[in-house]
Amino acid sequence: MLPVILILLVVSIYDLIRRPTIRRLALRNLTRRRGEAALVILGSLLGTAIITAAFIVGDTLGASVRDHARTNLGPTDEVVRAIGLGKSGEIEAALKSAPLPNTDGLLAMAAGGGSVATLGADPRAEPFVQINEVDFGAARAFGDDEGITGMAKAGQTPSGNEAVLDQNLADEVEVKAGDRIKLFAYGQERELTVRQVLETKGLAGYGSSNLFVAPGTIASFVSAATLGDALGAAGNPPSSLVLVSNKGGVFDAADFSDSVTKELNKRITDLPGAEVVEAKRELLDDADANADQFKQIFGGVGAFSVIAGVLLLVNIFVMLADERKSELGMLRAIGLKRNQLVRAFGMEGAIYALVSSVFGVLAGIGVGRVVVIFAAGLFRGDGFRGGLDLIFSLNSSSLITSFMLGATISLVTVWGTSIRLGRLNVIRAIRDIAEAPPSGRSRIRAVVFAVIGVFIGLLLLQSGINQDNWFGALAGVPIAAFSSVTLLRPLVGRRFAVILGAGAALVWGIAVFTILPSALEKTEFNAFVVQGVILVGAAVAIVATNDDLAIKVVNSLGVSRRTLAARLGFAYPLARVFRTSMLLGMYSIVVFTLTFLSVFSNLFGAQAPRFARETAAGYQVLVDSNYSNPVPSNALKEADPNVEADAVLFQAYPKWTTQDEHEPTSWQVSGFDEALLARGTPVLQDIDPKYASSRAAWEAVLHDPSLVILPDFFLQGGGPPSTTIHAGDTIRAYDTVSGKTADLKVAAKVESDFVFNGPMVSQAFHRSFFSTSTPSRHYVSFKPGADARLAAARFEGKLVNYGVQADTFEDKISEALEQQEGFLGLMRGYLALGLIIGIAGLGVVMVRAVRERRRQIGMLRAMGFPSRVVRQAFLIEAAFIAIQGIVLGTVLALVTSYNLLTHSSTFGGQSINFEIPWVPIIVVLAVALVASLAASAFPAGQASRIKPAVALRIAD
Amino acid sequence: MSPIVDARGVTKVYRTGAVEVPALHTINLSIEPGEFVAVMGPSGCGKTTLLNCLSGLDDIDDGAVMVEGADIHKMKDGDRTEHRAGRMGFIFQSFNLIPVLTAVENVELPLLLTGVKSGVARERSLNFLDRVGLSHRPKHKPNELSGGEQQRVAVARALVSEPAIVWADEPTGNLDSTMAIAVLDLLQEVNDAGQTILVVTHDDGIAAKAQRLVRMADGHIVADGLAAELLGTGNGVSAPGTRTAK
Repeated sequence: MLPVILILLVVSIYDLIRRPTIRRLALRNLTRRRGEAALVILGSLLGTAIITAAFIVGDTLGASVRDHARTNLGPTDEVVRAIGLGKSGEIEAALKSAPLPNTDGLLAMAAGGGSVATLGADPRAEPFVQINEVDFGAARAFGDDEGITGMAKAGQTPSGNEAVLDQNLADEVEVKAGDRIKLFAYGQERELTVRQVLETKGLAGYGSSNLFVAPGTIASFVSAATLGDALGAAGNPPSSLVLVSNKGGVFDAADFSDSVTKELNKRITDLPGAEVVEAKRELLDDADANADQFKQIFGGVGAFSVIAGVLLLVNIFVMLADERKSELGMLRAIGLKRNQLVRAFGMEGAIYALVSSVFGVLAGIGVGRVVVIFAAGLFRGDGFRGGLDLIFSLNSSSLITSFMLGATISLVTVWGTSIRLGRLNVIRAIRDIAEAPPSGRSRIRAVVFAVIGVFIGLLLLQSGINQDNWFGALAGVPIAAFSSVTLLRPLVGRRFAVILGAGAALVWGIAVFTILPSALEKTEFNAFVVQGVILVGAAVAIVATNDDLAIKVVNSLGVSRRTLAARLGFAYPLARVFRTSMLLGMYSIVVFTLTFLSVFSNLFGAQAPRFARETAAGYQVLVDSNYSNPVPSNALKEADPNVEADAVLFQAYPKWTTQDEHEPTSWQVSGFDEALLARGTPVLQDIDPKYASSRAAWEAVLHDPSLVILPDFFLQGGGPPSTTIHAGDTIRAYDTVSGKTADLKVAAKVESDFVFNGPMVSQAFHRSFFSTSTPSRHYVSFKPGADARLAAARFEGKLVNYGVQADTFEDKISEALEQQEGFLGLMRGYLALGLIIGIAGLGVVMVRAVRERRRQIGMLRAMGFPSRVVRQAFLIEAAFIAIQGIVLGTVLALVTSYNLLTHSSTFGGQSINFEIPWVPIIVVLAVALVASLAASAFPAGQASRIKPAVALRIAD
Repeated sequence: MSPIVDARGVTKVYRTGAVEVPALHTINLSIEPGEFVAVMGPSGCGKTTLLNCLSGLDDIDDGAVMVEGADIHKMKDGDRTEHRAGRMGFIFQSFNLIPVLTAVENVELPLLLTGVKSGVARERSLNFLDRVGLSHRPKHKPNELSGGEQQRVAVARALVSEPAIVWADEPTGNLDSTMAIAVLDLLQEVNDAGQTILVVTHDDGIAAKAQRLVRMADGHIVADGLAAELLGTGNGVSAPGTRTAK
């Protein structure tokens, strides 16, 4: 990217210093009409603004997750952990057997899980609390900077029934120093007094909600009778920990993680059950992955707007050249070489590009800020990492990259257009005569390029099919089809050649997800950008080639005084096919994406009751309880006498590898028994053909410990499902406590695991294989007439000691879908920026059109055209483009989304009912049309006020 | 008979920022219906400005212009525009055709503007194209025509609605002598049919075709009389393309 910018800029800088003629031409043209130059910059800066905003959203997310390193880890870089209490000394001794390179501290701790509630009639509760026992003095001395431990003001280690809370937990249960709370863990409970509340930072924030208690407290909760169950508490069994601090600060210390972890693993080889967790490295990698993912998603959505911006820039430069055609011809006639002409244009464009990129970055910071403000509400919910506070973040490297990207796109566009414009014929330009058809030599060249294009397209298709490469599968056929237009033209004529070539590309773009499902199984968001470009490009080519039929239709309606404005309004766009195509493409691609997102964001929301039905297996309420104190079935029945039945799910949080994910990655797993299938079965898709129905597949998994039912989004962070795992494939589970592994064969898949069960295995297998298997989840059904929502509230109120969280399936799924919808809505808002480009672009083009046609307007007015007709003609012209763009974009988006939903596996196969959300679509499109006409109203008014004598007298 | 155009005390000043350039100084001029008037003078003397002000294309700073009895500068813009559409035709040196319309579409515009039915307008336009020798190129766009052909389309467009007054500003300035004669013959023909023509020109040949010649200098009318007398051609005929000494 940098070399491209530098080469183009060096040429312009050289010309600026050494070529006064080129400099004069470029600078004078630039300052000739300052108002219009400002409009060009405005139209061009939005692309850079969108890129910058995408980077800012990614940076903000990354920084917000990375901030957990400061708030939740501080000096802690690695954790050596063993389930069971009293093992810290043994671990510490092993680690200290020789000096540990690149570390500056070890800290022994004991930890467990529990839930906390306030006292009184209406208690506030936090169901998932980390209980810590640590020596506060040692904690302050941990690492080389007391400031990052978060314990500087923590005072003495708690004793007796004292509790020290971090601010998160204190806020959650609304307590302060001196208040009394009740701690529930491992079947026991105890009242504690809050001694102090610490800022959530460093060790004080270790875990999500922290409670520091006196040493020995956890052991006192775990009686001999409950020890076995406690050790099995999924997620948070009583554990012995030794925290390790690497040399360096909060963030840079993670650089030593690889070598330190290797050394730690060597030292604990003789300690069974002990494992090393690269806590900070994992967190920072996770942060970077999240940042990249969001940069990709927002960048991908923004790419549509950037493409619209590029088309606008091309259009503006073609208009500039058309307007100056005779001047340019004259300059060539008096001796300006072609390359000098190109360089003069290039310099003018370079200045536009650089100025607009600078302003684009500034505008992008503002746009990014707005997106982050809206996104903050979505991230605060439970869906993303259990709630995340966004910290607005600006990285200078991102701003520089955005500037470079924006400038490169603009510069390449401007130079490409300039080279095309430089090819003008001197005489034809001076006399304003139509360009001649291509000569024999250029025809041969075009044929050669076309043959190469067809060949490359077919090669791409082959690689797409053979190597499951989405780009090849998607773009191969369209590239070949577009290239074939040149070859078909002599045989069937221009119109049919375009219809055949672009038509083939269009059909392929719509149907490719059905034709080559396996090649497009692992798509990135960019695939949809490419698909959008193919569809819109093909459709615009077909429409623009056949637009002349529109004038025939208009003429067939009869030409009269009343239709004169329409005739003029249609005549200009029909006569300037290239420019019209650029405008139409710009407009259509934005409308396409907006409609596409509208369809999807509304589809999911409408499906909540059905998803709930298909997930709930005939039950009504989902109950989760604390891993360290799981709620038993009888407690549920006692809490609400209307409980009719419940199915218990055992849960654990092991690691997994698959054919897509080779690094062991943690993901929840649930074990079910016959009870889950007693009232119905959760709906499955992609069922192994061995099983005749969903029920048969569930029954098979229930009785065969080597089988598993897998969710669609397994081991995936976000975006559309991109797994290649199907029924019949095998995945591997790792129990990190015992070190055992198990290969499990996929019997079927669950479409959307809204309740986050993870892979489903038989309960028998779950309990025997996973060391931390815990019965912490229940599906509950009630007697007829009972109010499930009320029962869920009753469970939460009465079963505080188990840390119960209960929701109806429909509420739970609606909440998840709302968040999904929220993201799609956010993206739609972000994409609306592209619509601004489209609307502003249309306005800019119209302003330039008025300038370009000044003399013609003068003549029309001299002939007696009322100013009203001139204004109407301009508005009709703008409406003609806008309506065509709206119709094209909308139809393509509806056809594509219908096809994706009903005929491809990308969005869950046939399981989502396709419905057109007319209201939001019509609102968006009406706003687009009205705004476009409003943007064109000013230039149209300007045109209507042109004084004929002035326009005829002064060309400029 | 009352004059078709009667200008009294017409003054026009061009203003560019703080700079004022007087273009017409209290011009008085009457043109009778059916007259063929040529306006001559050196460049910058105000000929085109006079045409623009008399036809109502441009505003004036003082005075009045009565066209067919109506004060054209007191009319609202819409009325003035309507008046132009119905009663006037214009020919300019640079043809000012609408580039996105074909030859016949350009010619029929004034007819459609005045409410003539499209079929009739098309037929009359094709007839006029035939009269200017372009019956074979009705569907060509301006940039597919030569300069002479474009000007003939412009002439056809100005004359097709048979306006009462034809205003022509250097109508043969871009044409060769043969083409110029053809255009002049056409103007002569419509003048013979009773239409009034005012033509701004440098060309003695064109001026010689006129009955009356108005000479201008520095925004003033310095001579106004029979063309033949003022040109000193006797029989009033000289070849188009010859110019008077400035």
